Amino acid sequence: MPPLLELANLPDADVVTLAQQGREAAFRELVRRYERPVFSLVFRMVRDRETAEDLAQDTFIKVLNHIDKYRSEFKLSSWLFKIANNVAIDHLRRRQLDTVSMDGSPHASSASEIDATRFDVEAQQETALEEIESRELGSAIERAIARLRPEYRSCILLRHVEGRSYEEIAATLDLPLGTVKTYIHRARHELRRDLDHLKPG
Amino acid sequence: MNHRHLLPNEIDLLLDGDVGFGQTPLRAHARTCEHCRAELDNARRIVAQLDHLPHVVPSAVFADRVMARVHVFEPAHVAAINAARRWIPRSAPMRVLAAAGGLSIAFVISVAALWLAANAQAVAFLADLMFQRARQMAVGGAGSVVAGALGGPALAALRAGGELGVAAAAGGFLVAVVFAVFGLRAVAGASRRRRA
Repeated sequence: MPPLLELANLPDADVVTLAQQGREAAFRELVRRYERPVFSLVFRMVRDRETAEDLAQDTFIKVLNHIDKYRSEFKLSSWLFKIANNVAIDHLRRRQLDTVSMDGSPHASSASEIDATRFDVEAQQETALEEIESRELGSAIERAIARLRPEYRSCILLRHVEGRSYEEIAATLDLPLGTVKTYIHRARHELRRDLDHLKPG
Repeated sequence: MNHRHLLPNEIDLLLDGDVGFGQTPLRAHARTCEHCRAELDNARRIVAQLDHLPHVVPSAVFADRVMARVHVFEPAHVAAINAARRWIPRSAPMRVLAAAGGLSIAFVISVAALWLAANAQAVAFLADLMFQRARQMAVGGAGSVVAGALGGPALAALRAGGELGVAAAAGGFLVAVVFAVFGLRAVAGASRRRRA
């Protein structure tokens, strides 16, 4: 078995083969390689560190526990990003449902009961967002990305932060190539509009 | 093209650096129109900022938490290969020695197998002879045990009954042993229950 230092020099496909042979060090190497890109994508999608940690962990667990099903014609990183994007989008959809259900208890029978059980989600999310932005992200561009639609956000992050081609993004997100191009063009346009006040001169 | 400014999607087309028939007039316009050049520069500045966004670092225990929930599974064929590898010596001289020993043993076994194949009749005769001897010894031993335990008349009765008689006696003995074992277990169980 190659020692740890050698594992770091192997291409993904070889490390995956070692993982498929039950080598724990190979699993750890895959986590080491992709924990930052995957976590970054999920964090910028859900914008909550704790949730992002949980979702990024779920991503790795799903992929590594099914490493025997990995097909080498697909890039491992694309597989990871695909799962990461899916878990993040699922989470955002669930959160959206929660937001609706938190608008007063459905079992409340009077106006005062509805008021008492109402949960001010928007105010709480704003506070959490502001805190994260000042602590972690800070820059105007991060705030502008956060305001994009989730579908635009994942496309723009894969394109620019991860440097993926339009074709790779289409394969990763299971979207038609034209849709990916449209999403990225619209996302850039929205970012330009959002950051217009920072334009030099 | 010269009498109108570039549209947002046209600016976007120029951002990816693609070279194509459609882009040439857009580029030409951006070179001559100050407003569009400023828009394009601003768009490029934003794209450059996007390209340089850093990765966010997860907590230090991230990998450990993942590994705690990952099932590392070693397939049977890999386990077998690894087990075999453990028998291979690490140093080169020992490996040569082990290979020489293995080849010698393989040679001896091959020669023996060839000899046995060439002398199949003699082997069959020897095997039959050994089987008869073993049978005689077993029958003699069993006879002595029966004579010692049950006496000469019982042995004579067994012999008179022939093979069927011996089989019946052996079956009866086995049934008696089974009953004795289960009986003793039942008695012991009942005794334990009473004590409890």
